[in-house]
Amino acid sequence: MRINRRNILSLMGMSPALLAGATAEAEQAKKTKTKTAKGVAAEAKLTVLNPRGMPPPITLIPMAPRLSTLDDKTIYLVSDGFPGADAFLNQISIWFKKNMPSVTTVYRLKAGGFADDDPKLFAEIKAKGQAVIMAIGH
Amino acid sequence: MGIPAAPMVTIAFKDLALTNAAKRGMPLQRISFTPHPVWGKTDEQMYAYLDGNDPVSGKPLMKEVVDSLTRPLTADESKSGTSTPPVGAPTFTDTADNLQQYFLDNGMTDFMPITLPTQEKVDAMLKATKRKPDEIVGKMTPAQGAFPPWSYTVQQVAVNAVMAGAIPDYFPTILAIGSTGISALFSSTNSLVSAVIVNGPIRDKLQMNYGIGAMGPFNQANATIGRAWTLMSKNLDGGGIAGETYMGSQGNVINYSNLIIPENEKDSPWPPFHVQKGFKPEENVLSFFFGFNITQGQGGKGLGVKPIPLYNVAMSANVAPFASLFGALFILDPLVANGLGDLGFKTKEQLADWLQKNTTVTVKDVKSMLFSGLPRGPEAANLTDDSVIPKWPRVDAYNFVVCGGQTNPYHQLANMSYRLSVKIDDWA
Repeated sequence: MRINRRNILSLMGMSPALLAGATAEAEQAKKTKTKTAKGVAAEAKLTVLNPRGMPPPITLIPMAPRLSTLDDKTIYLVSDGFPGADAFLNQISIWFKKNMPSVTTVYRLKAGGFADDDPKLFAEIKAKGQAVIMAIGH
Repeated sequence: MGIPAAPMVTIAFKDLALTNAAKRGMPLQRISFTPHPVWGKTDEQMYAYLDGNDPVSGKPLMKEVVDSLTRPLTADESKSGTSTPPVGAPTFTDTADNLQQYFLDNGMTDFMPITLPTQEKVDAMLKATKRKPDEIVGKMTPAQGAFPPWSYTVQQVAVNAVMAGAIPDYFPTILAIGSTGISALFSSTNSLVSAVIVNGPIRDKLQMNYGIGAMGPFNQANATIGRAWTLMSKNLDGGGIAGETYMGSQGNVINYSNLIIPENEKDSPWPPFHVQKGFKPEENVLSFFFGFNITQGQGGKGLGVKPIPLYNVAMSANVAPFASLFGALFILDPLVANGLGDLGFKTKEQLADWLQKNTTVTVKDVKSMLFSGLPRGPEAANLTDDSVIPKWPRVDAYNFVVCGGQTNPYHQLANMSYRLSVKIDDWA
């Protein structure tokens, strides 16, 4: 016969919360009030544990040195693959043609997911480009 | 790379971008923001963004981008070294009411009252496992690759289990969930959901419900195990912070306690799910699924009523509109499972095979859907818009679990894929 512990406790007039092993809590419930020096009841305090996990340490990465000018430079326009990024970067290319015509832009779609590295592309940019504009989000 | 970069991010992802940059070591990265969205805008509208201002800084956008690439670095931008993000003190002391508010205000709950995790309660929880309190259980991240994973101990899992209202008997199951590192609050603009099928004698030992109302708020084990998973997904990996580590555009009510699905093994005509995956029937196993939402299956066309409802036909019609990014998980009441057995499907594999062959879509339909892809490879060369192709090319896209109390021959279906299975007994 399956024993329903919750029903048994309820029939005995006891809270099924005791199934949580919180007999300590039942005893603590008797001490809900303490008296201050003036005889006024004050609510007891509890100490509880922090539920958070442990993040890894962050290694600060110095930013790459900036260019003195974008004139005559090659800027890679990199899409992370989200919808609309390619079209948006195309408009950036048009903006440079109109406003900074000495800048050469090169469009590329980064491989993998949006947070993945693309070593082949990064090597190309390092070899042939001087700056990157990356479109993230949609 | 050593090349100056100017990220441009749509404003909907501002908090995500700024905190992610900080967590990855560039707290001062020069990010420019655009209005949102970019997707679906005309060329003229997008160019107008470029001619306009960054909605965060208020500065002319492209001038800011050029400046990002050319203005010399400050001393702070050139710094190196390490730092550890703070997570708060090991303990908190205050009145019960103040502690409830503190936990809520600091994003450590599901916005419902918790069982406060005193040392006594946590110690009682820890007695339910042979594992040591300081043993590392696993690593978890709200999105692989986007956020660095956090690690957590047996005790930290116990704290969350207490908060969820779980009893010590449930703890090995909760530890097994934690051991997978699977977050129930995956950070995507899709409001994704998670499920776990429970198999083995533990279902009865914990008095889990796999009958009437199995997936509803009708059982302490089902409810608190699922809730513990949600709280773990918030607290153990820095997840569940809306706008930063959780980006689901609308959210999903299932995330409160997830889909905990103990299989109704005794009323099923087929071997249980974990046996399909190679486990022994007497082993206690959790099997994880992940994907889009769950929906009812009663509207499938072709069901008929007499002499036996054609459940397989209705199931096929029901999943045809699913996005093929994820597979199909059918949650079948035992009446449906036994009906399918009467129709000749003596194993789940036979049913999966039939569904894979008979659930088809046109190429034109696939092209019009989000999150659905066309076949690749040589066989795709001759496809036209009118070509009819399998909904999913692989039979393992179709999975089944029998669950329910036989009040009617109904089923539910989830656009979800199988991930992995783990043994609960390893954590007892």
